[in-house]
Amino acid sequence: MKILAKSPWVVHFNCNSCNGCDIEFLACLTPLYDLERFGVLHIGNPKHADILVVTGSVNHRNARVLENVYLQIPDPKVVVAIGVCTSTGGIFADCYNILGGIDKVIPVDVFIPGCPPRPEAIIDGLVQSLEKLEAKRAGKKVAPARKPTFTFRPPEEAEAPVTPSPAGSAGHGGKE
Amino acid sequence: MGEWLLILLILAPVAFGLLAWAAPGDRSRGWAVTVGALATIALSLVFAVTAKTGESWISLADLFGGRTEWLAFGLELLIAIVVAVIAVRVRSRLILALALVQIGLAVAEEWFSLRAAPALPGADFRIDTLAIVMVSIVSIIGSIIAIYALGYMKHHQAHAPATAQGSGRFFFVLVGFLGMMNGLVLADNLRWLTIFWEATTLCSFALIGHDGTPESRKNARLALLINSFGGVAMMLGSLLALSGSGVEHLSGITAANRALIPLAFLALAAFTKSAQLPFQSWLLGAMVAPTPVSALLHSATMVKAGVYLILRLAPGFTGSRVMFAIALAGAFSFAAAAALAVGQSNAKKVLAYSTISNLGLIIACAGINTPLAYATAMMLLLFHAIVKALLFLCVGTIEQKIGSRDIEDMGVVMFELPVTTLMALVGMASMLTPPFGMLVCKWMAIESAIASPLILLFLILGSALTLFFWAKWLGRIQTVSYHATLTREKLPLSILSAEYILGGGVVLTAIMGIPLFQILFAPLAVQTYQGIVISAESLSILDSVGGLDICLIMLFIALAAIANMLTGRYFKPERVRLPFLSGENVVTDARTFRFRGLKDEPDEAWTTALYLDTVFTETKITQWTNWLAILVLLTMFALVVGI
Amino acid sequence: MWSDWETISAFISQACPGLLTVIMVLAAPLVGALLMGIDRKITARIQGRIGPPILQPVYDVFKLFAKEPLFLNRLYIFYAWLYLAFMILVVVLLAMGQDILMVLFVHAFATIALILGAMSVRSPYSRIGASRKIMQMVAYEPILILFVVGIYLSTPHPHSFLASAVMQLKQPLLFTLPLLLPAYFAAVVIKMEKSPFDVSSGHHAHQELIRGVTIEYSGPFLALIEIAHFYEVFILFLIMAMFWSTNLWIGAGIALAGFFAQILVDNASPRLTTFWMIRFMWAGPMLLALCNIIWLYGMGRG
Ligand code: SF4
Repeated sequence: MKILAKSPWVVHFNCNSCNGCDIEFLACLTPLYDLERFGVLHIGNPKHADILVVTGSVNHRNARVLENVYLQIPDPKVVVAIGVCTSTGGIFADCYNILGGIDKVIPVDVFIPGCPPRPEAIIDGLVQSLEKLEAKRAGKKVAPARKPTFTFRPPEEAEAPVTPSPAGSAGHGGKE
Repeated sequence: MGEWLLILLILAPVAFGLLAWAAPGDRSRGWAVTVGALATIALSLVFAVTAKTGESWISLADLFGGRTEWLAFGLELLIAIVVAVIAVRVRSRLILALALVQIGLAVAEEWFSLRAAPALPGADFRIDTLAIVMVSIVSIIGSIIAIYALGYMKHHQAHAPATAQGSGRFFFVLVGFLGMMNGLVLADNLRWLTIFWEATTLCSFALIGHDGTPESRKNARLALLINSFGGVAMMLGSLLALSGSGVEHLSGITAANRALIPLAFLALAAFTKSAQLPFQSWLLGAMVAPTPVSALLHSATMVKAGVYLILRLAPGFTGSRVMFAIALAGAFSFAAAAALAVGQSNAKKVLAYSTISNLGLIIACAGINTPLAYATAMMLLLFHAIVKALLFLCVGTIEQKIGSRDIEDMGVVMFELPVTTLMALVGMASMLTPPFGMLVCKWMAIESAIASPLILLFLILGSALTLFFWAKWLGRIQTVSYHATLTREKLPLSILSAEYILGGGVVLTAIMGIPLFQILFAPLAVQTYQGIVISAESLSILDSVGGLDICLIMLFIALAAIANMLTGRYFKPERVRLPFLSGENVVTDARTFRFRGLKDEPDEAWTTALYLDTVFTETKITQWTNWLAILVLLTMFALVVGI
Repeated sequence: MWSDWETISAFISQACPGLLTVIMVLAAPLVGALLMGIDRKITARIQGRIGPPILQPVYDVFKLFAKEPLFLNRLYIFYAWLYLAFMILVVVLLAMGQDILMVLFVHAFATIALILGAMSVRSPYSRIGASRKIMQMVAYEPILILFVVGIYLSTPHPHSFLASAVMQLKQPLLFTLPLLLPAYFAAVVIKMEKSPFDVSSGHHAHQELIRGVTIEYSGPFLALIEIAHFYEVFILFLIMAMFWSTNLWIGAGIALAGFFAQILVDNASPRLTTFWMIRFMWAGPMLLALCNIIWLYGMGRG
């Protein structure tokens, strides 16, 4: 039985977004798209959540926070990354403080491309993530999502990925 | 046999107190106090076991042969003179005036009693179930507190101001207090009652002023002033009883021709002693004293004298409108003191207001004056004595450890003082949660107040507010982060044993609440109201207090505990997560409420409970409630005179 | 003949003593969950959405049990169990026809367990939620006690606090307690965490304090709280149905009407602050309740 897929509760984390993606995500909850008909609740609290919806790219300061929020979600859980910012840094990629896509900090299960993606795409992405959620519950190994190929790739992406050190330790203090 | 036990119960604590005073060193003083406390407990137990069923009367004249009135008169005068001397020393004209009035009243009473033999003969002392219960409470709980004081005072002496009196005198008064209190609850002759009444006043004056700081002196003076006022009311009441109806015994006042005027004055005296509104200020001031003193004043002695007196008088006045006024005053104090406690974050002050509030509830129950209410009042009295003693002891220990008596500072104690905190938790929980006795009492109080809507309303409001201030404190003190192990608490044996015994007592009374009611208090109430006209309904309701509900509650709590134990296998260190602080937790910090704030500096996430001090401002509410309380008291006197 | 409680309960308890209690304990969470599901559906429809399936609350609970049990300390889990245990106990006591004042107390202590659980963790959100929950209790608890007093006065002489006595009333409670119905309704709105009083743990997504008192419970432990809430919903509307205890259908009708009304109120009102809640509750519903009680005393029922 699909237990988890029937009531996915979502926590939305805005990393460094321009708010475009956030607004589109919230639009999904409005009467027009009504995500709640799938049992989705926008819960606002990682301890209750199943799905972590992230918008925006990570920078030195919020990488720590993102990881912390991710750790506070009980297993099984999936991460849905909305917008091009989450995969590469998007239009902010060149900024001095940006680390890049959120997959540098936490494993991502679904990337939803677009700048911002349309609500339909977001709903589609969420529904895809539910399958992975069930798979995780069943104990299957779920490979991290591949990045959308048609997204904008800044040149730095070729460099060695910055892996965050364990939570809370120094190195992400933002004091460079 | 009973006679000599009775005299021992009064004199033995005093004797041991003198020993403690005379003792040359800390060790020998410790022995004197411990032996004295244990002896008092043993005496009270023997007294309770060997007492004849029913009432027995004891007159000193029979014991010693010959006239002993002179002794009573002499002691009365002596105490009044001592008060006058103190008044001169602390330079208080008011107290001096009250003391002089007392001397005058004593002389007048003597003159009256010489002129005409009392219409109703009586004895000096009376032994009945109420007295035995009271003696047990006073002796046992008081002695435990005295033992606790041994450990506490050692620490206290090291930090006390230079002005503090020697601890020899302190222990003399502390232990002697129990003897005076025993005398108070046993006395039937109004004169002896007055003697012990005033003696407890003097004891509390000495104890409150122990530290000798300006503040403690001021508060000791206040306590003396208000209680002397109560003493005057009491002497006036007994004088009026003697001159008006020719009675000079408590039993006479209840038995004969409904002496309403003395009743009103005695009730006034009781209100001062029990710190009911508007006389609450002395009890609040008393918290400057070392903690064992507060524990003693609040639980076993002093304030219990007032409620005891009301309980003693009530059954003689069923259906009287004066009793209604007394109940109203009590219920009003219950609600008003609870409202005052809401705005306080000072732990001792909260405890003090809660004492006033609970005493108000007891007085309300006594004033409602049905067997059920009477039994409720007795049960409340017992539970309150145990719980308050425990809570004060715990707060004292916590205060010595963390150096603060602010509730909001107590969020760390669970880790540092697990035993004391657990005991405090038990004590607080017993004030508002099932299956503890307080809840049963509140339940019975509301059920018995149902005939008088106004009292009922105060009880309801008071209950809601009570919940408010206890829940806040309980929530703060039990705050814990996850620790695989707790630290071990190092406390002196005397403190630990006192906490354990009282904590055990609270749990025991919780379990035994209903049996205790059925075996002891319900028969006591029935016996008390024997021969008094009351409705059959109010008797039958006594039987309806069933144990089924309470058993079920205990069963379900046990189930929850078992379930919690079963879920224990999920509790693994790797499953511990920090509280949600918007993801900004300082992960490596053991203090789980730290987060990274401005400039990534660690900061503390801190919220205090609601104190609503704009609404529940102490000064503002006190002003209002005092006027209202005075109004209620005036109503009482108006009803007496028959307006 | 199947319309009054006495016949039904007599029938069931004849068949097997204690069965009634078991049935109620088992049925209560289902009914509660169903009501919550309907609540969410209707709310969605009011807002022009399709809304989740009716059984969504049940799915939620199953889901929560499948999650990893994260925790913060041992104590607050115990309080979650206590919350559930007390809620079940309320149903048991009601089914057994015990003292209603005791039922009310046990019900209050269930909520206190929740508050204490929320206060035993070092989370500012949950503590603020707990403080507000206390304020909620201060706001509605007097009304509930007055309600019980009203019930007591409505029973024939000699009065009785027993729930079984209510079920044997010859006349619906509504006739003696007409003003207490709206007052009780206001209390229900608070207890259901509905606007305008959902200050301690917003029921809708993202609204207030990130779910306030329950914030730190996760996975199965949150499921305990949800189940307890199902019980609570059942209890609240069962008691509302007691206003017409002589005919169960009418009673159920009143409860349903109350249920729909609170959904409407929820959707039509903004949130009040805590202080306004107390002011409103003590000035409005409490006054109504008091008037009703005074009227009863005036009729010589005291
Ligand atoms: S993807 Fe585009 S819309 Fe979304 S946050 Fe980045 S810049 Fe804004």
